[in-house]
Amino acid sequence: MDRRSFLAALALMLSGCAPKRSTLTVGSKNFTEQLVLGELLAQYLARFCALPIDRRFYLAGTYICHQALLAGRIDMYVEYTGTALVAILKEKPVSDHAAVFNTVKELYSRRFGLEVLPSLGFDNTFAMVMRGNDARRLRLKTLSDAAAISPQLRLGVGYEFLERPDGYKGLAAKYGFKFAEAPRVMDLGLLYRALQNNQVDIVAGSNTDGLIAALDLVVLEDDRHYFPPYDAVPMVRRETLDRHPEVAAALQKLSGRITAEDMRRMNYAVDGQKKDAALVVKDFLARKSSLS
Amino acid sequence: MSLPDFFIAHKREVLTLTGEHLWLVGVSMLLAVGIGVPLGILLSRRPALKSLILGANNIMQTIPSLALFGLLLPVPWIGARADRLAILALTLYALLPVVRNTYTGIAGVDAPVREAAVAMGLTRRQLLWQVELPLASNVIVAGIRTATVITVGVATIAAAIGAGGLGEFIFRGLAMVDNNVILAGAIPAALMALCSDFALGAIQRSLVRRPMRTRH
Amino acid sequence: MNASPAAAIEFVNVTYRVNGNRALISDLNLSIRRAETLMLLGRSGSGKTTTLKLINRLLEQSEGRVLVDGHSTAEWDVIRLRRHIGYAIQEAGLFPHYTVKDNVALVPRLERWDVARIDARVREVLQLVGLPFGEYADRYPDQLSGGQRQRVGLARALAADPEILLMDEPFGALDPITRAELQHEFMQLKKRLSKTIVFVTHDVAEALMLGDRIALIDSGKLKGVFAPAEFLRSPDESVQPYVNAFRATQQILNSGA
Repeated sequence: MDRRSFLAALALMLSGCAPKRSTLTVGSKNFTEQLVLGELLAQYLARFCALPIDRRFYLAGTYICHQALLAGRIDMYVEYTGTALVAILKEKPVSDHAAVFNTVKELYSRRFGLEVLPSLGFDNTFAMVMRGNDARRLRLKTLSDAAAISPQLRLGVGYEFLERPDGYKGLAAKYGFKFAEAPRVMDLGLLYRALQNNQVDIVAGSNTDGLIAALDLVVLEDDRHYFPPYDAVPMVRRETLDRHPEVAAALQKLSGRITAEDMRRMNYAVDGQKKDAALVVKDFLARKSSLS
Repeated sequence: MSLPDFFIAHKREVLTLTGEHLWLVGVSMLLAVGIGVPLGILLSRRPALKSLILGANNIMQTIPSLALFGLLLPVPWIGARADRLAILALTLYALLPVVRNTYTGIAGVDAPVREAAVAMGLTRRQLLWQVELPLASNVIVAGIRTATVITVGVATIAAAIGAGGLGEFIFRGLAMVDNNVILAGAIPAALMALCSDFALGAIQRSLVRRPMRTRH
Repeated sequence: MNASPAAAIEFVNVTYRVNGNRALISDLNLSIRRAETLMLLGRSGSGKTTTLKLINRLLEQSEGRVLVDGHSTAEWDVIRLRRHIGYAIQEAGLFPHYTVKDNVALVPRLERWDVARIDARVREVLQLVGLPFGEYADRYPDQLSGGQRQRVGLARALAADPEILLMDEPFGALDPITRAELQHEFMQLKKRLSKTIVFVTHDVAEALMLGDRIALIDSGKLKGVFAPAEFLRSPDESVQPYVNAFRATQQILNSGA
């Protein structure tokens, strides 16, 4: 092949690799909840905006998703406000949901030219979880309630929670927890099993863990707002919204529609029941009357 | 799903990631050659700089690629965008073979040839373009060839820091424990390395001084 | 060049030092006449090649002046200086990636002669050195024997018709038969060419055969300049060892015959 035709072929191939302008690419991180949320955005927009959607899931972490968004390799993904604030913007953690959201929205717009849309409706923050029976029997609804009887409780935590400044230490200080024994440290995956088997009475999990729904566990309310908020918000490139204004409208309609309970159920369906994430989301969208 | 079926089902994604990979490699190699060859030429003029420049290059090559990516992350402007960072790191890695081979190739020009050229009144520039570079071209292309193959490989790691490319498949496949996905990244990357090695090897062979091929 | 002085090349109080202090050439005063063949004769390391290289500024003197055509080499534009001086060395130094034709045409091409003129000159000069154009023009140096390479080197040095030719032991690496051939042809050639030739050698016989005058250099100093016959008769003590060596060879040959 002579040089000219080689260069032409190369140019053609490289130009074909740029995503077509009318296709939207939805990204996600590499854990179950993110896959579900990515599917949610993808299927929802496909249906209501009639746009072709590409999926670029399993991006290995916050930084990688952010870079992909900046570079235009993805048009949007769902981030958590607390993560955006601390990990990306490198600001200090704050407890007030609205304050965190506004800071993130403003700084993302100013520093990166990215739009942060309102929360999908749930907060994937740390959750102190107890067996349903115990919570009902002892009439425990909030963390303050639990703190009052903390000497009777055994605590189970993961390594990270124990070490993080916004983890165990701060919690104990804020609420005045006084456990009879030191917290038992174990792998995250084993926390709920230990709770189920009565080896511990209260564990530090995540608000949207699938097993919470499945095992009749209860999340105690953070009435003193200790844990920083991790509201799930769609983050979108401004160019994408300029090109497709209908996307903004559609995503606004999604805001506030997904509850923590919804998320737990979907997470469990994928993790616990091994169902396909795309099917789980399809089911969800069909059943959720306000969304179909 | 069989591997060929997987490729067909995901061909858009494979092409997109391959394109990103090619872009990372292409830009880095252009920079490496654009900086490396003149640097090698400079080195041949000022051998005193040899230990400094080759030494610095050596250090660069010794740092594991993932570590280099990590080291560059906090640097302002560079670290702000993963593709910039990846291209910088890839260029730094590709520099050593290019600089070293350019220097070796030019320094390897026979002393009598160089002396005769200077004595006949070639200017510095004429000496470079009509004698040194043509005689060193084979060795220089060999260096570019090595650098390209290295770059294709290290570029797969760039996905770990968010620069895209075929490495994304590999890391994703590892997380999903899905061999098809891993191979969807590994095979095109390996093919890219092989093809560039082959193509540059062919160029290299065509630059071997003609007389060697036409013995009568 | 302007009004030609009798001396084509002149060394005036020239000293050449390396590493700050070691003088390879000390206080050299030498006048080379136009159209003469001057042999620079000396042992290895005597400074004869260094002297040669001062003429086309491959080396620069530490003290003194070297005049070419009446002007100090320091004043000349060095590129112009070199393009007007032919240079032939022992290894020939042909460009391995150029054909014989391209090698010979080098300086004319640099001087932007027109193509027809270059072609004609290349043919002429290859003829002069005994290499038929048709057979040799498109060969590459590594397809030539040592003797053929030297011929091409000489042709290349002559291509732009320079007035001065510098030769550094050009026949030194050849076998005796080829060397004798080339020496003989060179003798014929120089009669036709009327160029100023400075020829470095350590071989007394060659010096006596080819030179109009012989400049004897020892340890960086000029010991004297002699016509060949004078050289053989000279009582000068630096000349003695050479003459003795020369006579000794002759005697061995005569006695063995």
